[in-house]
Order: sequence, then C-alpha cells, then structure tokens
Amino acid sequence: MIKVSGLNAYYDQFHVLKDVSITVEENGVVVVMGPNGHGKSTLLKSICGLVEKIQGDILLNDASIINLPTEKIVNLGVTYIAETRELFPNMTVVENLKLGAYSKHARPYEAENLELVFDLFPRLADRRGQFASTMSGGEAKMLAIARGLMSNAKFLAIDEPSLGLQPNLRTEVFNTIKTINEQGMTILLVEQNIPQIAELASKVYVLEEGQITFEGSKDEAISDDHLKEIFLGM
Amino acid sequence: MFSEDTVLLLYEITDVIIAGLSNGSVYALMAVGMTLVYGVTKAFNFAYGDLFNLGGYFAWILIVGLGLQFGGYFTVLLIVVPLLFAVGYGLEKFLIAPLRKRADWENRAMMLTLGLSLFLSNLYMVVFGVKLKNLPPIMEGILELGEIVFSYQDIMIFVMSLGGILLFGWMLNNTRTGMAVRAVAQNPAGAKIVGINIKRIFAATFAISTVMVGFGGILLSQKLFINPTAGGAIMVKAWVVTAFGGMGSIRGGLYAAFIIGMMEAFVGWIFGMSYTIIALFVLLLATLSIRPQGLMGKGT
Repeated sequence: MIKVSGLNAYYDQFHVLKDVSITVEENGVVVVMGPNGHGKSTLLKSICGLVEKIQGDILLNDASIINLPTEKIVNLGVTYIAETRELFPNMTVVENLKLGAYSKHARPYEAENLELVFDLFPRLADRRGQFASTMSGGEAKMLAIARGLMSNAKFLAIDEPSLGLQPNLRTEVFNTIKTINEQGMTILLVEQNIPQIAELASKVYVLEEGQITFEGSKDEAISDDHLKEIFLGM
Repeated sequence: MFSEDTVLLLYEITDVIIAGLSNGSVYALMAVGMTLVYGVTKAFNFAYGDLFNLGGYFAWILIVGLGLQFGGYFTVLLIVVPLLFAVGYGLEKFLIAPLRKRADWENRAMMLTLGLSLFLSNLYMVVFGVKLKNLPPIMEGILELGEIVFSYQDIMIFVMSLGGILLFGWMLNNTRTGMAVRAVAQNPAGAKIVGINIKRIFAATFAISTVMVGFGGILLSQKLFINPTAGGAIMVKAWVVTAFGGMGSIRGGLYAAFIIGMMEAFVGWIFGMSYTIIALFVLLLATLSIRPQGLMGKGT
C-alpha cells in the first residue's frame, strides 16, 4: 500500500503539487486524471524518487520512502514507467530488459521475469536482438512497460501508457494492465485515453492545478458532471 | 631482386610502422578513456594529461625511487592500478559531483579541472623536481624476424594497451557495472528509473578513465620522459585524437588513435619530429571542417 499525505513538489521556484494526499490500496488500480501540465506525472515521479524538491510524507506499507534515492525505492519494489519511455536507444531489447532487473532485489528473478514479459509481449520476444532505437512507437512503449515489469516491483506507477498509440495497441496495453493487476500488482496509473480503464479502477483521483479536486469510486467518477465536462466535453 | 637501397628503405618503413602502431595503441587507450568520461559524465577533464603523468610518477616511485625488485611491472600495475582508480573515484566524488547540482556545472567543472591541472603539475615539480624522469623498458632486447627487428618494448606496449582496451570493452559489454555505464551514457533519466545509482557510475567512470590514461602514462613514459609540466600538451594530444574520432564514440577514438599514431610516425620520419604537431592540427582542422562531429561522432 502506498499512502501519500500532504505532498508538495517544486521544480525550481515553481510549486507543482500542493498538499496532495492519495492512497493506493494493496492490489488496487488507482487512476489519476486531470488536464495536462497540472502535476499528474510529477505525482508519480515524486513517489518514485525522481523529483528533487519534495515535502510531505510518502509511506510504503507504513515505512516512509520520501527523499530516499531512486535506487533504494526501486529496490523496495516501487517502479516508475515513464510516458517518455526513457529506453536505452543503442541497446537491444534484451539488454534493455536486463537493465530493468538491475536492482538487487530483482536480480535473482531476472531469467524468470524475462520469460514472463516475453509471454506477455510475444512481439518483444521476436525482436529480442533489435536495438531499441529502431522500434516503432508502439513496440517501444511495450518495451518500456516490460522493462518496468522486470524490476520485480510490487507497485508500478505507470504514466500515460497509451499516449500516442493506435486504438488496437491501446487495447493491448489495457489488457496487459488488467493481467498484471490480476497477478497481484498494485498500480497507480495516469491514463485518460482508454475509455474502459474506469472498469479497472478501484479509485479515481482528479488533479487540477496541483491539487486533488475529486476523489471517488469509478461509479462516482462516471456520474460526476464536472468530470464529464472537463474530460468528455459533455 | 631489389637493390640494397630499396631493401634498407623497406626496413626503415617497417620501423616507422611499428613505432606508429605502438604509439597509436597508447593514444587509443588515452582517447577511449577521454571519450568515455565525456560520454558518460559530460565533464571535460583538463587535468587528463596530468593524470597520465600521475601514472608515470607512481611507477617511477616504485621502480626507481623505492628500487622495487620483485615482479617488475607486474607488481607495479598491481599497486598502481588500484591507486589510480581510487584517485579518479575521489576526484569525481569530492570535487566534480558537488558541482553537478547547478545548471552551469559543465563550465565550473572545466575551470575546476583546469585548476587541478595547474595544481598537479606544480605539485609534481615540488615533489619530483623539474628534471625529467624516465622509466626502464618493460622488457629489454629485440625480436628478429628474418631481417626485420622488433624491440620487445614496442611489442609489449602495443600488446598491453590493446589488452587494456579489449579488457575494458569486454567489461563494458559483459559486466553489470559496464551495462550501467552504457545505460547512463545513453540515457541518464532511464538509468535512474531502473535503479542505477548514477552518482556512483559517474565516479566509477572517472576512475576507469584515470586508470586508462595513467596506464598509458606508465607505458609511454618508458619511451619518452615524464615531464611535470607536459600535462597540458598531453591533454591536448588526447583531445585531438578524441575530437578527430568523434567525442563520445569509442570506435571512432580507436580508429583516430591509430591513424594519428601512423601519421605522426611517417611525418616524423619524412619531415622531422617537429612537424608532427603541425600535421596533427592540419589533419584535425581539415577533418572538422568537413565533419564537425569527427570521424564517428554522432553530431548534435
């Protein structure tokens, strides 16, 4: 379980997150929505130790992880999957995946997890020797997700996995998230391009101008007029 | 079949080629170390040539200063390589890393390494004096293949620098730390995400590059002298090789090193040694005016 309370995040002088509190239950799928540039990615990055200046508290199963270096957080089983992928362009698919299992707690499971992600993404298995830089946008996105899974994480913070993907690949991403959640993964997700995603959500948060403006179950989210207005233009 | 003059000329050319190969191999070692540290940490190291001298002086202390008898250069490397590693690691960790928090840290790092270079060269003069030192050959004697004569020293220098580069290349591709070094060079943000301690990789990279250039110093100081104030000139040489090959490209650095080693040997033989530095810059300027990113650099 991840519990964020009173989180403030800054980029230089810019105050990005203002007193944000969210809870992600064990084995839950929590979806964060909100306009672009209002702090969704910063929230995910803050949890994973990728934002320099943060205050407040972040608990992982009652132990504080705020301001730990990223490598320690990854080693505790918390992994960030970037919207911008952040792959290693001049390395092969397999090398990228192996680096996903770089942290100490993931190393013993490297071979096992490699098989697992190849089962999940057969296309990556076909392209195992190919350089990441030569892959299509969809494949690169899958590789980024697969690399995240290699870390043997118990908690994944996934940032806009479907951004820039064509509809059939979005469905594939949706199915993947569903599968790994069923296998026990706790997921914090920024996603608003897959309509079905609400089906999976155990909870929905809306982040606007750095503040949480809505918190509720998926049913409450679907019936909320304000949400419909800003996201669906209805 | 050939006249006597032609045969003599052929022998001379062979000598020149051997000298080119043996110098080129040390340049390769130095260029790979420089391109590595620049590719990974983005810091330009002005004290690079003084670290070359540091390797030479460490070896000199052991062999000449302390009169080390046992094991020769093998023992020297066993002691000096970890020392160089520790010096490089410490320099990065305590001097350069603290600068990295600022936006314009690259400029500050340049100024700092420039200052370090001045400090080291003056330290060498105080400790070792201005008199040039030199190291005994790693192996004496010659190898005769028919009429062609190789000195064991040239062979050993060539074999050991190439061995160093191959070992380094192997580590880069086959060890976890090596993979992490490549990852940081290609995408520091991605490296952080997968849980690589990038600060440690920066320090380790700086340390490895210090070992490579210091090792080059141990090898080349057997043929040349250790000059306490030559650090700047050595750094320029390493930089020319690296820029010619393409900043950040290891393969480019290798090709460049052997091309320049060969060119120097031939220019020195035909026109005299004082022309080699001119030829060096003519080659660099001509290359950079056509390919600003160097032979195999990625460009910007």
